[in-house]
Amino acid sequence: MKRKSLITAAALLAAAGAIAACSPDQGKSTANAGGNDASSCTNTIPKKQLPVVTMWGWYPNTQLVVDNFNKQSNEVQVCWTNVGQGGDEYDKFQTAISAGTGAPDVIMIEADRIPTFQIQKALVDIKNYGFDAVKANYSDGAWKDVSIGGAVYGVPVDGGPMAMIYRKDIFDKYKITPPKTWAEYEQAAQKVKDAGGPLFGDLGANVPAVMMALQIQKGATPYAYDPAQPESIGIALNDQASKDVLDYWGNLARKGLVGTQDQFTPEYISGVINGKYATYISAAWAPGYLTGAGVGKGEDTGKFAVAPLPQWDSANPMQVNWGGSAFSVTSQAKNPELAAKVAYGLYADDESLTDGWTNQIIFPLNLKALNDPKFVDLKVSFFDGQQANKEVYVPAANAYTGMTYSPFGQYYFDSMTKQIGAVIDGSITGAQAADRIQEDVANYAKEQGFTVQ
Amino acid sequence: MTLLIEESAASTQKKAHKVRGKVRLREHLMGWLFVGPFGIVFLALLIAPLAYALYLSLWQKKLIGGTNFVFLGNYVKAFTDPTFLSGVWFVVRFSLVAIPLQIVIALAMALIVDAVTSLFTRFSRLMIFLPYAIPTVIGAVMWGFLYSKSFGPLTDIFGLFGATAPDFFSKNLIFYGLINVVTWQWAGYYMIILYAALQGIDPSLYEAARMDGAGKWQIALRIKIPLIAPALLLILVFSLIGTLQFFNEPQILRYLAAGTIAPGFTPNMYAYQQAFALANFNYGSAISFALGGVVFVCVYAFLFFTRKRRSFL
Amino acid sequence: MTARSRTAGRQRPQRHFPLQVLLGFLVVYFLVPFWWVIVNSSKDAPGLFGGGNTMWFADRIDYVENLTRLFTYDGGIYGRWILNSTLYALAGGVGATILSVMAGYGFAKYRFAGRRFSFSVMLGALMVPATALVIPTFIMFSGLGLTNTIWAVILPSLLNPFGVYLMHVYARDAVPDEILDAARADGAGEIRTFFRVAFPLMRPAVVTVLLLSAVASWNNYFLPLAMLSDNRLFPVTVGLGVWQGVASANNAGSTSLWSLIILGALVSVIPLVIAFFTLQRHWRGGLSVGGLR
Repeated sequence: MKRKSLITAAALLAAAGAIAACSPDQGKSTANAGGNDASSCTNTIPKKQLPVVTMWGWYPNTQLVVDNFNKQSNEVQVCWTNVGQGGDEYDKFQTAISAGTGAPDVIMIEADRIPTFQIQKALVDIKNYGFDAVKANYSDGAWKDVSIGGAVYGVPVDGGPMAMIYRKDIFDKYKITPPKTWAEYEQAAQKVKDAGGPLFGDLGANVPAVMMALQIQKGATPYAYDPAQPESIGIALNDQASKDVLDYWGNLARKGLVGTQDQFTPEYISGVINGKYATYISAAWAPGYLTGAGVGKGEDTGKFAVAPLPQWDSANPMQVNWGGSAFSVTSQAKNPELAAKVAYGLYADDESLTDGWTNQIIFPLNLKALNDPKFVDLKVSFFDGQQANKEVYVPAANAYTGMTYSPFGQYYFDSMTKQIGAVIDGSITGAQAADRIQEDVANYAKEQGFTVQ
Repeated sequence: MTLLIEESAASTQKKAHKVRGKVRLREHLMGWLFVGPFGIVFLALLIAPLAYALYLSLWQKKLIGGTNFVFLGNYVKAFTDPTFLSGVWFVVRFSLVAIPLQIVIALAMALIVDAVTSLFTRFSRLMIFLPYAIPTVIGAVMWGFLYSKSFGPLTDIFGLFGATAPDFFSKNLIFYGLINVVTWQWAGYYMIILYAALQGIDPSLYEAARMDGAGKWQIALRIKIPLIAPALLLILVFSLIGTLQFFNEPQILRYLAAGTIAPGFTPNMYAYQQAFALANFNYGSAISFALGGVVFVCVYAFLFFTRKRRSFL
Repeated sequence: MTARSRTAGRQRPQRHFPLQVLLGFLVVYFLVPFWWVIVNSSKDAPGLFGGGNTMWFADRIDYVENLTRLFTYDGGIYGRWILNSTLYALAGGVGATILSVMAGYGFAKYRFAGRRFSFSVMLGALMVPATALVIPTFIMFSGLGLTNTIWAVILPSLLNPFGVYLMHVYARDAVPDEILDAARADGAGEIRTFFRVAFPLMRPAVVTVLLLSAVASWNNYFLPLAMLSDNRLFPVTVGLGVWQGVASANNAGSTSLWSLIILGALVSVIPLVIAFFTLQRHWRGGLSVGGLR
């Protein structure tokens, strides 16, 4: 009896050991893997003799982009890991910063997060590592979003010029034309509702970046931040424009004109597929996402179209941006100069860019692609052949002038999400939400040692 | 916990007289030899991190101005921080509803499968226990889908009665939505523990009671439940500790209801957000410690309370 | 009441019929999520989101294609996650069990200096939020270069105070001192006595502790979530959580992960369900004693 149990236990141990031994990253070789260790790449490195730069990113076609880069480069190879998307990746990066180890050499981040990491000295200024050679490849606005003061903390890849995606079948059925202003948007919503139609749009608590962009569109300037004086920051999250926009959406929700579903959830996708929402206020990368989620296929084919974002003042239109990412070099990079080569070169070759925009995964900021007639004139199949880039997205991108982001983006968005949630459940008005966000974020800033103006 | 310690102490005293002085040293040695390996792990992975967390929680880190010693400042902040307090209030309320509900269901099921031996009850026993084999994270993912109005069954079920399905992700109902998830997840496990305890009762006791004219219900209430009271107490304490540390389920359902489940929804989620999303390990540690204090107080209050009333169980 | 006459001859009388109906309802409640997952893991994205009966199969039953996609997506990462989970559960479970058996036996059978004190400290540890340890353990491990390695997950799961408690209670009751004394009188050393005499008697509880520890490691989420950044080291819980995050976040691009998540959830529960049901005879014995005393 005893022998048998012992044998069982020994066998289990042996099995555990065997599995451990089988996995390629056993024991000590995995120390700091995913970050600085090249042994844990998702991709295969073709030129093994070259030095390796590690990279985190989540573009759906990253594999192809990395392969293209590695094929062309004779100086350096990229080792890529996908540690999660957006917030998940930032949490990992943040943790690695705190731990002082575990971060990759190059990281994909959204432009609005750059100040958050820069203030922790987690990013490297790459201006002296070949900026002049590629400067002309991007617009000044694109550079502005990744720069702080005179320093450059990222290489722009894609942007998210915003627009209004709508369902042609619903618009036809209720005889409405795409609204040009937010007042018209509300009227159209009311008209559809009165006729017993579906919801007109959606106010999602989990997309605070949209709310921020829409507030900026009305003239809000959430942050005033000069990196020359990093300890001082201006926070204006409850000015009239911010309040108005929150109130506007709060009212639409209260009147039942728009839904209050979190976006990107299965519930929301299902709603988009089944025509539960007449419009979707979103960015240029949205069609690729929706296609992947199963929208616009089967019965839905060709039902979608896109129109410019409604305006507050049609005489002075204002274009805004949602999402879009850059490649940054982290301060844990072993060889920043080499890492900068990767940041500048990755997703900058024609083949990768073309793959990105044909599949609508990215709205390219690289002028080579942006000015490419093939890109501009593309007849987008998701929009039933509409020349969406030429008509809507490219003009919107060209009119975009950049924004100033805060060094505590995570806290700001968390706070915003919470208060939008409160607006949705009707416990506070939009204006009250703006006041609370202001108070919350300002307190946090003071607590973190900033002087708030 | 004190109950348990005293009981074990009593049993040691029984054999105390057997020990002779000569063997004492050897006994000390062997005792530590057996306990030692666990002791080392315990010190390295529990005591040391706890001490370190305590140390960390006495400092404050700022984006501007670096790290400063603030002594109990983080605790003062935590116990005046509305987010932390509302998180604590939530898990306390949640415990007060979820735990009795789970225990009552588990007890009822255990009594049924204990009293009725049929193929069906044996099958039921397995099926009810099934959710315990599901990681809480996966369970939360599954319920996240089931709560969906568009492709969960709720719309169909409520539609049968001509009603609209409730939205368990709304601020008013998320409490019940989560209650349901944890009940589904844990009731079967508690049922098995109670069932095992029931099976351990000497059947001759029932026979004697029946002779005295006790009915089924009386046997269940007067004999079975009092006899498994220690097992009940054990699972009550464990579920209390577990529920106050609520993390996995709301963390996963956050992906579906970010507006309803804020990052500070439960104290543990708040600690996670502070430490890993905002890089504030100091305040995160303080919150963890403060939560540990709350758990300690709740468990002791509960044990004190049940001890006084134990005779009624 | 027809049930009464039908079962009248049996030993167990009819009165339990309503109870069994009640039980039936509960069983349905506990099984509904499984049914939903089984049904919906056969659907593709349009089938999932495009309306239709949510509790029944779509016209196209696509297990094969979905399974293929599940195990090939992102270079077959899902299969690795399952293997990782197995490794963590086995290593953590076996390690924790060995430590618990030894410590439980030591606490129960030797009166050594500091015994009472250390036992109460250990019981107090049951109250420490396991999650509270994650933050300091993370910082300590990162100092040692252990974060983002398999050890970051395995080492902390070796700690199972409840297992020690359970083994202590069981050893106290199921291993009589007289037998141990007899073995010692026969000249067996302490170690030999433990392996030859005590261990076989403690076997049911050993299986129980092994299963409970393995399940705890298998279910672990918070710890690996914090410790690991290399997705090829993830256990399946963290992996599916990350997939859900990816699917929920914007920019997810060209692949819909939702049907993979559902099928992934289904596949991931199969190993544990099998382990539980094949071993259930062996481990309930351990629980009964642990719970009763």
